[in-house]
Amino acid sequence: MARTALKAGGRFKSATSEAQVMVIKAPAGEFDLSCGGAPMVAMSATETAAPDAADTGEALIGKRYVNADESLELLCTKGGRGTLKVNCAALAIKQAKQLPSSD
Amino acid sequence: MAGAQDHDANLNADTAARYAAALLGNLRVSSVAAISTPHPALLAQRCGLADLVGFPHRAPTICPLPLAAAAEGALAALAVLAPGAFSGWSGAGLLTERARLAGLSRNGAVSPGGACRLLQAADGSVAVNLARPEDWALVPAWLETPAADFDAVSAAVAVRPVAELVERAGWLGLAVAADAWNPAPRPWCRIHAGAPWRGTPAPHARPPRVLDLSSLWAGPLCTRLLRRCGADVVKVESLQRPDGARRGNAAFYAQLNAGKRCVALDLATDAGRARLAALIEAADIVIESTRPRALRQLGIVAEDCVRHRPGLTWISLTGYGRDGDNAQRIAYGDDAAVAAGLSRLQFEATGEHLIVGDAIGDPLGGLHAALAAWASWRDGGGRLVGLALRDVVHHVIAFDLPTQCATLHTRARQWAAVIAAADAPAVKSDTGMNGVEAREALQRVSSLGADTLAVLADWGIAC
Repeated sequence: MARTALKAGGRFKSATSEAQVMVIKAPAGEFDLSCGGAPMVAMSATETAAPDAADTGEALIGKRYVNADESLELLCTKGGRGTLKVNCAALAIKQAKQLPSSD
Repeated sequence: MAGAQDHDANLNADTAARYAAALLGNLRVSSVAAISTPHPALLAQRCGLADLVGFPHRAPTICPLPLAAAAEGALAALAVLAPGAFSGWSGAGLLTERARLAGLSRNGAVSPGGACRLLQAADGSVAVNLARPEDWALVPAWLETPAADFDAVSAAVAVRPVAELVERAGWLGLAVAADAWNPAPRPWCRIHAGAPWRGTPAPHARPPRVLDLSSLWAGPLCTRLLRRCGADVVKVESLQRPDGARRGNAAFYAQLNAGKRCVALDLATDAGRARLAALIEAADIVIESTRPRALRQLGIVAEDCVRHRPGLTWISLTGYGRDGDNAQRIAYGDDAAVAAGLSRLQFEATGEHLIVGDAIGDPLGGLHAALAAWASWRDGGGRLVGLALRDVVHHVIAFDLPTQCATLHTRARQWAAVIAAADAPAVKSDTGMNGVEAREALQRVSSLGADTLAVLADWGIAC
């Protein structure tokens, strides 16, 4: 279990697919962040892992993912196969931002 | 150098007509617009644009770029293809319509609307447009530090390089643009799929059905103009994300959207998505202003629609284009204009860091999009045309641009002298300049989804 502190603006990539995320917000503490059944890794890391064959999920580019109480939020910055999970619980897609009333 | 100055002075005649001719030439239309317009500086003054450049509580700053003349020219080009549709209209007046109706005024390096501002970064400057309250929730991730107001954002931006700020904002869907000028030409529209421009009219049994999936300003202005050309315009909104402009200035929303029938769909359901696909199937022109991935995630691929539906014209309005990383970036009218180089050229000309006009990429984009859409339908269609707000503004400000800085300075002095000599009052009226009066328009605005069933029946779509 690679537990990691999550800081706003921090970036991680999947070890099993092309997926990448950026942390929008997260509570203090360390978390087990995974994609496709394997821990997500630093952007500079070169290690890869075999995907969990039973995981048919996909991280969609541009979607925001939240945990159950929405205290933790990730943005998918590059799409790829694999379900995004934090501490073994799958994250859910958050409703898109409303349009501005003017620009 | 003297020769270059004389050359520039000569070019300031008939700018709008020459701009119209350039646009029509790009569309391979051989007709020309027979218009005679005032000096570009006078056009800018009369439409009120000149008042939207500079600092508050000081005299306006001259902008020596042909923004108003290009808007006049773009509408004149459209009028060539739709004779009589725009008699009494002013293309330049469309640039300042929101500022007039909402009472916005020049605000220095801050946009008249207030959401966009130029900020100094470590190696240049950037435009930051935080148009949605939710955007502020993304700022800590963008800057990797908490920042709850523009003072804190300014401090964090000041120590980061421009390229990094723009790249990180792009990932987050924040509208951040480099304040830079790049002289390399940018076409104002591109055909991404389908037929090249034919230029000659094709036979049509009826006016076109226009499906407007866009929101805010540029797309709705485009379809407002198409309506004037005779099109049947249907505005489609998602029940989850209606056009945010409904919550904005009501008179301005009415000017843009009066007379359009409104359909609302639940795009979270299969039935809603099927209705959207059926409406697209029944349309002759589709106007949308989403990032390409948004519709793809709903199962709609513009390239496929154009391939499968003969004669369809698909207009894709984006901030920076549909290709590569640009397709992921969002832009609004103010920051797109900065990305085009407008604020940088303004600085070169007058030494002031300014946001020029009110979200000027939007009305310029809408005008050009209407021209491309109508020209495409008229010549038989069958193509996906992309317009990037950044590229439209770039095309406008590159038109007649002197190659030497000194010539631009000279032009700024000449244009200021032209305005001073004329001393004509700017247009202050909030009605009548273009189309319906605000009060009349308000009465003809359809509420969200008011016409859903009527349109589905009318366009032959099973409910």
